[in-house]
Parts: sequence; structure tokens; C-alpha cells
Amino acid sequence: MKKIKLVVVGFGVIGRGVIEILLGKKEFLRDMGLDLDVVALCEIDGSVVSGDGVDLGNALELAGKGELNKHKQWSNRKSMDVLEEVEADIVLELTPGDIKKGEPGYGHIKNSLKKGMHVVTSNKPPIALHYRELHELAGKKNLELRYEAAVGGAIPILNLHRKCLQINEIKSVYGVLNGTTNYVLSKMVEDGLSLENALNEAKELGIAEQDPSYDIDGVDTALKVVILANSMLDMNVDFRDIRIQGIRDITLEAVELAKKHGYVIKLIGDVSRMEVSPRLIPVDHPLNVSDSLNAVMIDSDVAGELILVGHGAGARETSSSIYSDIIDIAAGI
Amino acid sequence: MLFFNSHSLFLDMKVEMEIGLKDVPGSLLRSLEPISKHGGNILSVLHHRGEAELVKVKIVFEIKDQKSLELIQKSLREKRINMSEIFVEGRRYYEKKTISFILIGHVIDSDIRDTIDRINRIGCVSDVDVVMPDPREKSSVLMKADVDNGSLDKAVTVIEKLCKEKNLVFVHSLEQ
Repeated sequence: MKKIKLVVVGFGVIGRGVIEILLGKKEFLRDMGLDLDVVALCEIDGSVVSGDGVDLGNALELAGKGELNKHKQWSNRKSMDVLEEVEADIVLELTPGDIKKGEPGYGHIKNSLKKGMHVVTSNKPPIALHYRELHELAGKKNLELRYEAAVGGAIPILNLHRKCLQINEIKSVYGVLNGTTNYVLSKMVEDGLSLENALNEAKELGIAEQDPSYDIDGVDTALKVVILANSMLDMNVDFRDIRIQGIRDITLEAVELAKKHGYVIKLIGDVSRMEVSPRLIPVDHPLNVSDSLNAVMIDSDVAGELILVGHGAGARETSSSIYSDIIDIAAGI
Repeated sequence: MLFFNSHSLFLDMKVEMEIGLKDVPGSLLRSLEPISKHGGNILSVLHHRGEAELVKVKIVFEIKDQKSLELIQKSLREKRINMSEIFVEGRRYYEKKTISFILIGHVIDSDIRDTIDRINRIGCVSDVDVVMPDPREKSSVLMKADVDNGSLDKAVTVIEKLCKEKNLVFVHSLEQ
């Protein structure tokens, strides 16, 4: 049995989803020869730390009530201090990222790598804004830095590329990379809702954030385009290189006009054009996916066109990608 | 060098086409068959066997119209024969492609005639469908334009530029 020590930084929706899966699949992981042991859970105002393994059931219950600070292993130690002191194999960096500097994830990832720990993250900004630096650091230390969950939620884009498309030169990658905007545009075309009403519905269902600007204005998609460009097409792209046009100006009349002529409007992240923009796509095109689904088209020289469709968000779905990275790294430890 | 010459009646377009063929028996005949099948009159066939894997062959023929040329191209593509250059009456020939796009904003008030004229300089606007919910509100206009296949990027750049100038939102098709 291989014992792998984990530190979880960020115990929000994604962090709790990851721990729920860990508890639910403990036996399944054991059958794979893996004993994943969480030695620290870090939040903004403190951490739960135990060298013998954190009581995860209790942590989940308390965090659900916003009372993680009542956990018997709780202390006020900040995440950066915990990363400095705790010894672990893999750090799961699952905090939300700031678009300007990528903090606090950037600091967490850098410190974890400096301390000799592998990193798995779902956090887009640090990877999109500091791609080269973090990869060089991981390379120097002979460590893994993985972020499958940062692009496309449950869809295995990066690991598919790494493991199954080695012989291929990737010509282009483009698609529907943001679930919120796809939900809004789908509701406009299917139910005739205005953008504002579709967005309000998405907020009520928890699909959209209360401030959905990053999604609606195309920023979230642009971060994913940067990550895909750098990791799959080996480009050296900066976030500022991406031309971004969101869906805020898309009118119901435009959606209906497109429908009349056999098209739908989708927010497309296009890696080779380094562009995020609303585009017309034929109704029978494979990227015309409904609800909050994501869809990605990969065009390569040997395999040809591949289309991947799946859930781009959700704690459980995103956890699938996080475990794909954890299990892969664990195999090499 | 092979040389054909025959009299042609009612054939208006002279076409020079360069293709790349594998150096295997029968490949030249396979490439000529679609031209005859679609009414082409072959005037000359010149082939150049270099060191490259493919033998370059220049075929000169006459055909009735552009439709025949499109059918010949389609047949050659189905046979996976690579066409590198086509000249019609001495001018480089491009395939026409119809692009669709939507403009959102004050499309009418920002001089739609001028918008169409400027797009017509790089292609030909063939369809305009306007939805104007209220004269004071933004309108949405779907346009279709025929553009040379080789000028698609240029067409998109021209439309992007005029949309920026006129404060219009440009939603272009994924194929462009």
C-alpha cells in the first residue's frame, strides 16, 4: 500500500467536493494500492493540521456550517506557514484566484514546489499568469505541477493530450469553455429569455456567481485559452495577448436571427486565434451543446478532429480531474 | 511531355491547373478523367519529374463555365489529388466562400449603405436580414457575403475594423 500525504489549501466548494469523494472512495483507492492521507486543511483564517491525518468527516460537517474553526485540530496558522512546516507529498491548491496577480494560489504553488511537494490545482489565474515561471520551478525540482481541473472541469483535455496524443502535433483547440455563458446563451435560444433574465435564472440555480462578470465578459474563458495555448500548443502566450469579447452585448433578436438562419451563438475560446468571442456555429455542429456543458474540439495532424463534451464545473465533476492528477503523480512516487 | 490539341466549340474558359501526382502507373489518367467527364477539352499536359515525392503536372484545358470547374475540383479532391494552383484566363482563381455574420448595434443609423459598400470591396454581400425592435434600440443584422476563399482572414479584418469604427458588435461564424 502506497501512503501519500496530502495538504488541501482552500476548503470551499471544490475542496469539500474533493474530500467527499475521498471519503466515499476510500476502499476503491485502497484497491488501487493508494492510501491518501490528508495531513492539513487550510482556509483563509486558519488551518486544521494533524500529522496522523485530519478527521475529515468532522471537518466536512463543520465546514458545511461555516464552523471549521470549531474543529478539534484547528489552529490560527496561516496557509503559507502550514506549507512551510508540514511535510507532504502533494499539495492540492484549490483556492479561487485573483486575476491580477494570481494570488493567493501563486504563492501557495511556488512555496509548495520550493519545499519539494508536487502540486495539483484547479486554480486558473496562477497557471495562466505565471505559466513559465511555475513550470521552470517544478522542472528544476523534478516535481509535478498539474492542473487538469483548471480547464473544462471534468473533461480530460490536458491528460488526454499528455497520455494519448503524444504522436500528434496539435493544430488548433477551440470550444465552449465556460458553463455559465453556455447556460445563458442556451436559455436565450431555447426559451426565448433575454440575457438578463437567463442570467438571473442561472444565479438562482447556483450556475452563475452573484457577480458573473468574469464569465459573461469572457475573462474565465480567456484564462483557459492561455493555459491550453501554453500547454498543448507550446506557445508562449500571456493573458494580455488574448483578444476578449464577452456576451454582454448579445441581444435576444441576434440569437433569434441566428436561429432563423440555422445558427446558434456560442462564446468560443479559440486558441490558435488567441481570441475569445461570441461566434455563429451551425445548429448541427458538435460544439452546439446545451445547458452548462462544455465542449472542446482538438484538431491534430494524426488523430484528426476530436470532440470532448462534459461538465465544465461542479465540485464532484471537477474532483474527477483532480483525482486524475493525484493518482498519476502518486504512481510516480 | 504529353501534348493534346483539339478544336473546342462553345468552351469559354481557359484553365491552367497544377496538380501533384504520385509517381505510379495510371495516376495521370486518373487525374485527367474528371476533366473529360465534366466537359473539359484538354489542350496540353506538361509534367515535371523532379526529386520531390510528387510529380508536378500542369494541365491546360478549356471548359464551359465555373460550375464545371467546381465539379472538376470536387472530383479531384475525392480522388485525393492535390491541386496547388489554378489560373482562369491567366488570373489566379479562388474558390468563393459564403460567410455569415451578425452585426449588433445601431447598424442602420451608422450608414448601412457604407457598411455594405466597404464589405463589397473585398467580396459581395448577397443577403441582409435586419431585425429592428425599435428605432431607438440596437438592431441586429445578419449578412451573408461571398468572399474569395483565400481572402477570408482579410474579410474578417475589414469587418472587425469597420465595426470598431461604428461601435458595432461583430459575431462571425466559426468557419471563418
